[in-house]
Amino acid sequence: MTKLLQASMDGVAVGSLYALIALGYTMVYGILKFINFAHSDVFMLGAWFSFAICGFLGYTTADHPVYAALVALIGSMAMCGALGFTIERLAYRPLRGAPRINVLITAIGVSLLLENVGQLNSNKFLAEYGIKFPFGTRPTSVPLLLPDQPLLSFALDSAHPNTLVNVLPVDVLVIGVAFTLMALLQYLVFGTSLGRAMRAVSYDAKTASLMGIDVDRVVSITFVIGSALAAAAGFLYGQKLQSLRQSADGLWVLLGLKAFVAAVVGGVGNVRGAMAGGLMIGLVEQFGAAYLSTNLRDLYVFSLLIVVLLFKPEGLLGKAVVEKV
Amino acid sequence: MSLASYGKPASPAVVAVDALGPFAGVAVLVLLMHFVIGPAVGPYYAKILVDIAISIVLAVSLNVVNGFTGQFSIGHAAFMAVGGYTAAAITYFGTVKIWGGLPLVHADPQGWGLFVVGTVAGALVAGLFGLFVGLPSLRLRGDYLALVTLGFGEIVRVLLMQTGSIPDPKVIAEAPLYTLPLKLGGSLGFGGVPTYTNLFWAWLWAGLTLVIVYRLKASTHGRAFLSVREDEIAAEAMGIPTTSVKVRAFVLSAALAGIAGALFAHELGTTLNPKELGFQKSFEVVIMVVLGGMGSLSGAVLAAAVLTVLPEVLREFSEYRMIVYALILILVMLVRPQGLFGIHEVWELPVVRRLLGGRGPK
Amino acid sequence: MGLLDVQGVGIAFGGLKAVQDFRLDLPKGALQGLIGPNGAGKTTLFNLLTGVYPPDTGTVKLGDRVLNGLKPHQIAQAGLARTFQNIRLFGDLTVLDNVKIACWSRGWTTTLDALLRTPRFRAEENAITTRSMELLQIFELDKRADESARFLPYGGQRRLEMARALALDPKVLLLDEPAAGMNPQEKVALRNLIRDVRDRFGLTVLLIEHDMGLVMEICERITVLDHGVVIASGTPIEIQKNPAVIEAYLGASPVADASPGAH
Repeated sequence: MTKLLQASMDGVAVGSLYALIALGYTMVYGILKFINFAHSDVFMLGAWFSFAICGFLGYTTADHPVYAALVALIGSMAMCGALGFTIERLAYRPLRGAPRINVLITAIGVSLLLENVGQLNSNKFLAEYGIKFPFGTRPTSVPLLLPDQPLLSFALDSAHPNTLVNVLPVDVLVIGVAFTLMALLQYLVFGTSLGRAMRAVSYDAKTASLMGIDVDRVVSITFVIGSALAAAAGFLYGQKLQSLRQSADGLWVLLGLKAFVAAVVGGVGNVRGAMAGGLMIGLVEQFGAAYLSTNLRDLYVFSLLIVVLLFKPEGLLGKAVVEKV
Repeated sequence: MSLASYGKPASPAVVAVDALGPFAGVAVLVLLMHFVIGPAVGPYYAKILVDIAISIVLAVSLNVVNGFTGQFSIGHAAFMAVGGYTAAAITYFGTVKIWGGLPLVHADPQGWGLFVVGTVAGALVAGLFGLFVGLPSLRLRGDYLALVTLGFGEIVRVLLMQTGSIPDPKVIAEAPLYTLPLKLGGSLGFGGVPTYTNLFWAWLWAGLTLVIVYRLKASTHGRAFLSVREDEIAAEAMGIPTTSVKVRAFVLSAALAGIAGALFAHELGTTLNPKELGFQKSFEVVIMVVLGGMGSLSGAVLAAAVLTVLPEVLREFSEYRMIVYALILILVMLVRPQGLFGIHEVWELPVVRRLLGGRGPK
Repeated sequence: MGLLDVQGVGIAFGGLKAVQDFRLDLPKGALQGLIGPNGAGKTTLFNLLTGVYPPDTGTVKLGDRVLNGLKPHQIAQAGLARTFQNIRLFGDLTVLDNVKIACWSRGWTTTLDALLRTPRFRAEENAITTRSMELLQIFELDKRADESARFLPYGGQRRLEMARALALDPKVLLLDEPAAGMNPQEKVALRNLIRDVRDRFGLTVLLIEHDMGLVMEICERITVLDHGVVIASGTPIEIQKNPAVIEAYLGASPVADASPGAH
């Protein structure tokens, strides 16, 4: 029972992070119909930006203002939003209308670029000129911006201390921020005229532009929003794990990939699907880790992906598309 | 067969030269590499030449899927890993089982037979995995398929990380065969694999791969592959079973990657390690194919050679290697999206044709 | 019973009944037209016949063979070849290779033959090349055999689609708007070409076309589709006089929706 509760809570927390990242993938896919491979790197940079902001403003675990978490969150969201805007402008926009495979390859290129620029920390050449990247190959510990006392702690069976379930403030933060952002996005997409424009472009970009919608602007906004959500996920991830690692064997790419799996499982292009898929992937992973084997957690996720793609390729909430001949 | 010769009956001599010539060419190349070039350039450059050969096998094999059939696979390193681990398990455990005692670190003449068996087995097992991954391609296209291949690559990597450490020779000698595939060194890698790969074997396989894939491209079967890439619906309408063509492409491509893996595993100075064979490696191969031109074999060979030599030349700037690669990839897509040669071979390009005195394009 | 026997074929996409209860009985050697306003379901019907969409109802028979449930490539190999309205050539490949690809299913060598370049392989390659060049000659494309297909002019691309379909050695040829985008001279040439090809290869042809002059002149019988339903069928003269057809094209009558089935 303890295990069940703990796994559920971890699953929801991790899953809501996946959902936040998945939203960025799914929104871009919905509009431009390609996997933005660089999105996982934007997520990574989101974590690093929040870390850099803490360093710059002198926030430490012991000494930080109450609003520190909010500053780091919004700061990194803004920075990643700008980054997403730039990426779209420089790398993807010139390829509008090119074969999808070319855009996909470009996305891989952008991903490799961000990932490896991020590893330039130890570079002497740059350091001589006083340029220091906040990144690096060494793990960096992130200052915890919240109290680490459990908010709520209860034992299911008072006789056994190992049945203790802890609810930490950071879990509340992760789930709270994630769900707030998702609710905001839900409102934006389904309740505003901007959202209507986004849905129109996603349905048929050409017709939408004939109806007076500025497609380029909508695409830019989509990238900004998606990247900002990824940055939020990056910040929350840092707070939850308190250790950031930038390594070539791809912790970040892997996390980003799982988030894309979430988007696919939920039905790519579908905003609600991304949320549902994210939670589902989080739960599958955490339950698998708790009940089967921790080491194989990536395996569960990718197996789920392959099963979903084989039996319901359009995703759980997606719609099948018939190709026109 | 070129258009110029169509309709004219060929003499038996021409037929024989056309059929066997390339194999003779490969033999000459291999002997040259082994007996002349290798000793002449010394071990450092010999290793680079071996690396180039392995890259050629990888790039050309990925070209079968990405270039010919236009499916997008980005999990090629996983097939390489499967082939490499299979071959290494056969040579390492095989040596202990057959001759008792650890394999010699340097090439051991009596082990060459085992190495060939290992390489072929590596190709077969990798081909089987190719079948396994090719099947989803029946239902998926484009980026979804890319994602499945990437996911598959990660699954292979995770599973290899979970294997146990390599047992002592004594334990190996007594252990039942079926327990050994579970002990492949885990995250530390498969250490102590005998170093059989030299210029001879590397260029032999590279040469054979080139002959096989080029001949495929220039045959009815290869044209069926290309038709899938050009327009799947039209290909079906012309009687091409596109699904089976795609699966075949995956199997062939994976099997050849398995050979590259076997060569890599037995190369001096490399460790067979799951980390080395992650998607970073897959991306490197994708870059070679994209840069050379999807579908162009000479392009793939050229790109493989350049991208293998480049890091050696730019050793001081090794940190920037992937950054440079990434920029190249983006720039190629923006400036020349079809790659250097597109689907064509070097000698089919208008410029080269004109230089050779043939007809230019109309 | 004719060569191509279509009985009650229909399909619906969601709520939209794109084609309903389509019947057609094409005798061997027929040259039949299929006309109708835009969106009438003509191309959808071709897609149903060639297996791109499996029909919801009805059967399609070619000779004695039921084609329902076969994959598109199996239907093509069975002898039902087609061209596409929105040209679908293998653009990066040469004109010659486009035709050669369609010869694949008639080939008799294995991949191993190709890898070893056996005499069998050479013989097959020679035969395929010769045959493909013959077809290209008929369609006046032989001079451009080694150019990329995408560089052909529009009319040339349409002709190449027909040459490619013929390389399958089909019994029935389905042509989807072969004259679209052609200039008047090309259309005249096409008219003769279609007849020639039909006679020369003993083909049965079903033709979708918007150019009424062409349809009326070369087709022996015409079927008219509107809103997925056959509204008329008969000789060109009968069709020209048929009030339901005129109504469907001009939409003159206020009760156009209630088109009575004037079979």
